[in-house]
Amino acid sequence: MTAAPGGASSADASPADAGTAVIGDEIRRILAAATGRAEMLDIPADAPLFGQAVALDSLTGTLLLREIRERFGVDVAGEDLNLDALATLGTLAAFVGERALGGPGEAK
Amino acid sequence: MTGPVESGPVAPGRVKAGTVKAGTVKAGTVKAGTVKAGTVKCVVWDIDNTLLSGVYLESGAEPPPADPAMAAVLRELSARGILHAIASRNPPAAAEHAAQVTGGEFAAAECGWGRKSDAVARIAAELNIAADALAFVDDDPYERAEVTFALPPVLVLSPEDMTDAVGWPEFSPSVVTPEARRRGAMYAQRRRRLAAERSFGGSREEFLRSCGTRVTIAAASAADVSRLHELSERTSQFNSAGAGLAEEEFGSLISSPASGVLTVRLRDTFGDDGLVGGCVTEHGAEAWTVRLLMMSCRAMGRGVIEALLAWLIQSAAREGAHVLEVPCALNDRNVPLRLALAAAGFRAAGNQPAGGQPAGGQPAGGQAAGQASGPAGLGVPGGAVGPGRAVFRLDLGGPLPELPGWASGPGAP
Repeated sequence: MTAAPGGASSADASPADAGTAVIGDEIRRILAAATGRAEMLDIPADAPLFGQAVALDSLTGTLLLREIRERFGVDVAGEDLNLDALATLGTLAAFVGERALGGPGEAK
Repeated sequence: MTGPVESGPVAPGRVKAGTVKAGTVKAGTVKAGTVKAGTVKCVVWDIDNTLLSGVYLESGAEPPPADPAMAAVLRELSARGILHAIASRNPPAAAEHAAQVTGGEFAAAECGWGRKSDAVARIAAELNIAADALAFVDDDPYERAEVTFALPPVLVLSPEDMTDAVGWPEFSPSVVTPEARRRGAMYAQRRRRLAAERSFGGSREEFLRSCGTRVTIAAASAADVSRLHELSERTSQFNSAGAGLAEEEFGSLISSPASGVLTVRLRDTFGDDGLVGGCVTEHGAEAWTVRLLMMSCRAMGRGVIEALLAWLIQSAAREGAHVLEVPCALNDRNVPLRLALAAAGFRAAGNQPAGGQPAGGQPAGGQAAGQASGPAGLGVPGGAVGPGRAVFRLDLGGPLPELPGWASGPGAP
């Protein structure tokens, strides 16, 4: 875990992007554990989560959202009525990153 | 530490131990809002000096016998459709011994030397039961305090309390159907199915096919009414209305030409789960509206909700409707239903004003919605989810999902 939340980095790459990549990998690991399928570790960022490759259903989806809440403190279902954040792995990582890494409204 | 725990701490809003004597409060006599009858779905038991009259590891060659009072409570609660589980600081053999001597069927057993609250949380996750539908019985005041502190919604009781509590409304479901009485056996099946799935290599769909899954959708008859009512009260993770529906209401809906009432049954080679889901639909020329969509969380991950949604979409389209809509109470419990709707392509335009009680008028939905609005600050424009209701819609003009090969329903090819 090199990209610490809060981003002490002064490099060119935005800390938010680096954080999103880390979150994406974490989501891949959660999906692999929830489905018992190691190929989840290699899914591309633009893979639709409800589509063929991942085939997220209500069971794996519930496990995924529960893990995200525990690890990142982000309540996706509480903030996204249509669960649009679950469109792809990339959209989900960005959604979680904006909130977990201190977007405009980190105050809580 | 032990002082305040002696009398058995009770979660806020529940009947206090000692204020209610066995037999003085019957299910249904307590006003809605103070206590909801039948809230405990599973009792998590300690073994030493609770299920057994003695300590398993200190008893030498001859393990202790069952505690007769607790064994009687176990049998009585099983007959009411309440599940049992074990959380014990003992080797797994102790759980087998306890099951043998008490004659109980345990849906889950956590044996180990970690914290009891962790064991209880794992049982809740494994059985898909919310913490506020669990009771925990332990003779050790320290363990009771630890679980109370870590998991406030759990109803924590001493064995002495438990003898009394059999008469409490929490342990007295208003309806007990054949499905409910077989619940313990079904969870035992579920453990065998999960073990098989873990050792199965392919996708879940391939697994469901390999174990002969059959989902049967049918029009409800009068004989289904009590089970449909029970499901409407017991389901929370898959319940669109966020409230129960009375038997009489199901009865009149079944005979009404303007609405449809469906049952969904599930079985596979591991066993027959019986009636696990249902829905109430209204058929307009332009739109089909699903007034109630519900499924037992036991059927989660077995293709049932997906099959039911696919059948509804196909049937509505075949009858010429352009839209299928599912009005849905928004609370923190039925996120799994929202996931199923999202996976099937449904979208909601936004919240309706909060405060509108769902049909049926039960307080549970309103309370749950209130929790959903919690301290998390659900204030994101456009996508925010506050307490209230939303109507999820699917335009039937697009490509329609296929009914999986293992599912069948009226009118389906």
